Amino acid sequence: MAYSDKVVDHYNNPRNVGTLDKSSTEVGTGLVGAPECGDVMRLQIRVNPETQVIEEAKFKTFGCGSAIASSSLATEWIKGRTVEDALAIKNTDIVKELSLPPVKIHCSVLAEDAIRAAIGDWKKKNGVAETAPATAAAE
Amino acid sequence: MLKTVDSAVPVVCWSCSAVQNVSALFCANCSKIQPPPGGTYFSVFGIEPRLNLDLAALESEFHRLSRKLHPDRFARATDREKEWSLADTALLNDAYRTLKDPIRRTEYLLKLQGAEIGEEFAAANGRDRRDPSRVPSDLLEEVFELNMQLEETRAARKFGEVDEQLEKDLMLAKEKFDGLLKDVDSNLRAQGHAWDEGDDTARAAAQKAMVALLDRRRYLNNLVCDVAETLGA
Repeated sequence: MAYSDKVVDHYNNPRNVGTLDKSSTEVGTGLVGAPECGDVMRLQIRVNPETQVIEEAKFKTFGCGSAIASSSLATEWIKGRTVEDALAIKNTDIVKELSLPPVKIHCSVLAEDAIRAAIGDWKKKNGVAETAPATAAAE
Repeated sequence: MLKTVDSAVPVVCWSCSAVQNVSALFCANCSKIQPPPGGTYFSVFGIEPRLNLDLAALESEFHRLSRKLHPDRFARATDREKEWSLADTALLNDAYRTLKDPIRRTEYLLKLQGAEIGEEFAAANGRDRRDPSRVPSDLLEEVFELNMQLEETRAARKFGEVDEQLEKDLMLAKEKFDGLLKDVDSNLRAQGHAWDEGDDTARAAAQKAMVALLDRRRYLNNLVCDVAETLGA
């Protein structure tokens, strides 16, 4: 199976690899895994408490090229968005952007899960109520 | 995987027209070789699908059939029979390779039962049909940490350095995961036993448990292999 140019680009030059201070109240951490392939993905966001804008996003993924590319792209997309805007990103957007083949769609699902988990963690830390509609629609 | 043929349609021997067992490699009546049959890897060996197998019996049946199918025996047979001896041998080898290994056997049997295992199904499932209970979340944290340590170790080694403390930690982690792997395997054996002996309800429960155990096993096994590879290199 051949990877698309965009996947190869993200794989060779992953954006925003790294770690944010997990203990900071401004930081939300999402750690997710795919049982199908054993991949693990950690995505972290630093949110401006005034504006609720995601000012920084970092990831670290152990997995295949598509998983790395999906999480790399996810961090690019959520940076500069508000928390609520970031929740609007769907795995299908990632599939389209990276031209992922059907067997790799679960990598994009993982990236979407990671965004939600990171935001969920940040909300929990900051006592922000989960916005039910977005989550309910996804399940 | 074998194609499953409609058992209502009888298969007959091309040579003597005797009705065949669905997975027979040879005609029971005239002993002539048959084209690659339908059925399952289990039925090629004449056994019902089950998880606890007599491996010695499986091996001796494999050798017996392999000898009977050997191309040398078909040196003077028709071209058709020569071809079948090769195709049947390939089928028999696949069946044996799958059934002799407990994990492959379990995965194969679960797939026969319609379980959705592995990457090819992850895509079809999408997020709606994903069962969150399948993610071994208690392991995630540790798996992630271990992967970080592995990466550090590999990077250090690349520069000819050995971080002894780090490598000792890795060995300890590997031992722990080896232990967890053993637990999973003994659980799998127990569930396999439950499947073999149980009724439909018990089988359904055992299947569900085994799918989850195989997921957990894949995680653990990847890690153990990664550590062994990094430290062993």
